[in-house]
Amino acid sequence: MRWVLIVIPALLALGIVIALRAHDAGVAPGGGFDASRPILGAVRTPLPEGNGREVAERACLSCHSTDILRQQRLTEKQWTASVTKMVGWGAALSDTERAVLVPYLALHFGPDNEGFAPVVTRPVGP
Amino acid sequence: MNLDRRSFLGLALLGAVMPKRILAAAERLPVLDRRMLQMNAYATDAETPLDALTTYLTPNDLFFVRSHWIPVMPDPATWALTVDGEVTTPLRLSLTELKGMPKTTATCVLQCAGNGRALYRPIVPGVQWKYGAVGNARWTGVGVKDVLERAGVRGTGRHLHTYGTDTPPGKVPPFHRSVEMEKVMSEGIIAYEMNGEPLPALHGGPARLVVPGWAGDHWMKWVARLSPQPQPQTGFYVDVAYRYPNEPGEPGVPKKPDEMHPVTELFVKSNITHAPTKISMGSSATIRGFALSGAPDIVNVELGTDGERWEPARLLPDHDPYAWRLWEYEWKPAHPGANTLFVRATDSKGSVQPREPVWNQSGYLYNGWHSVTIEVTA
Repeated sequence: MRWVLIVIPALLALGIVIALRAHDAGVAPGGGFDASRPILGAVRTPLPEGNGREVAERACLSCHSTDILRQQRLTEKQWTASVTKMVGWGAALSDTERAVLVPYLALHFGPDNEGFAPVVTRPVGP
Repeated sequence: MNLDRRSFLGLALLGAVMPKRILAAAERLPVLDRRMLQMNAYATDAETPLDALTTYLTPNDLFFVRSHWIPVMPDPATWALTVDGEVTTPLRLSLTELKGMPKTTATCVLQCAGNGRALYRPIVPGVQWKYGAVGNARWTGVGVKDVLERAGVRGTGRHLHTYGTDTPPGKVPPFHRSVEMEKVMSEGIIAYEMNGEPLPALHGGPARLVVPGWAGDHWMKWVARLSPQPQPQTGFYVDVAYRYPNEPGEPGVPKKPDEMHPVTELFVKSNITHAPTKISMGSSATIRGFALSGAPDIVNVELGTDGERWEPARLLPDHDPYAWRLWEYEWKPAHPGANTLFVRATDSKGSVQPREPVWNQSGYLYNGWHSVTIEVTA
């Protein structure tokens, strides 16, 4: 019966581990997850402060989050091309605002931009 | 310690049940590692971490998500598929009617055309996908051929124009596509299930197009209309975007649209999903990964440390046309220090994964060698 002395504590320990996981982790169709993580889309990271931030918030964020801006590493020339494309697609920007926005984007999200890391989220729901 | 019969049986039952649960969990990623990487809070984009791409079928909730803009998800109860264009009998099929047609299934890779965009140098704009805008799933639905033949498709219909229910904001052009009829008639599926579950709305439910071997831009999500036409689709997302150079050019120098052609077939590539960061001389490590292609099969996966001498990996048995192939390789380091291990794949058409991909201004179809660096201690 000595094996019982090993098996029973092992099973109890296992039960405690599973109970703790059930407490901490959510359950999705594909399996559990860390419920302390946000759901996809919940974290909206603000843009960095600076001259141009308000223009960017108003003109860019109606269609996409700041993630798309913050992950780019573009030259001023590339930003000019991107902003021109977006104006053609309906982004409401006056010439004055555009003259503020492009340098703001190039300053914060230029080729040396190392500031972006994806938000780690839970698995995606159905 | 004495156990009565009931306690013993209870513990035995516990012992029988628990390992099964633990085993089931072990086949998947550990709970705390089941996660996604948000690339865009809205419209929703998310990639899968490489360490979660270790199973033949990628679980639905770990499958990458790509949205061009904030979608309007159709209600499955009112959703219908319209078939018009070069047909004798235009159709409007409800989901129930579609499900009443003969079922077909394909297990194959779905990869975003821009997967790996972040790895291009010089840097290009767009969603900065690294490795995980890819997954392998079992898609079930109705063959495009069955639907089009029911509508009486005419021989003049050479290109299948496809339309989804998502609507672009402002003056953004609509995301319309077309697929050559020969491809879509032989292999296309209007899928309403993904890995045995109803196709999740995030992945295009109630139904999306499946085009095995082709990049994800052809896999129209929330598909609502199919229209065979004599000519290919036109518009920004065909004539300007989703195009790939006819000939390699100088990296950093954009091509004109007429120097490029639409992205279609995926390129052969492989990724390492599992490797230690550190091992000691004299020991060995199991390296794991996947390989995929727009060709139906992967015939070889090789690893090496110098880019010249290669050793074959073992291809795992799970296998379907246009699915990815998981592989394993037992690596024994030859010398201490930082060792870089490269992987490359070869497909059934003889295409060998190149060291460097062809640079293109939109960052499509990255397939350069993937590598990991492992510290080997003496």
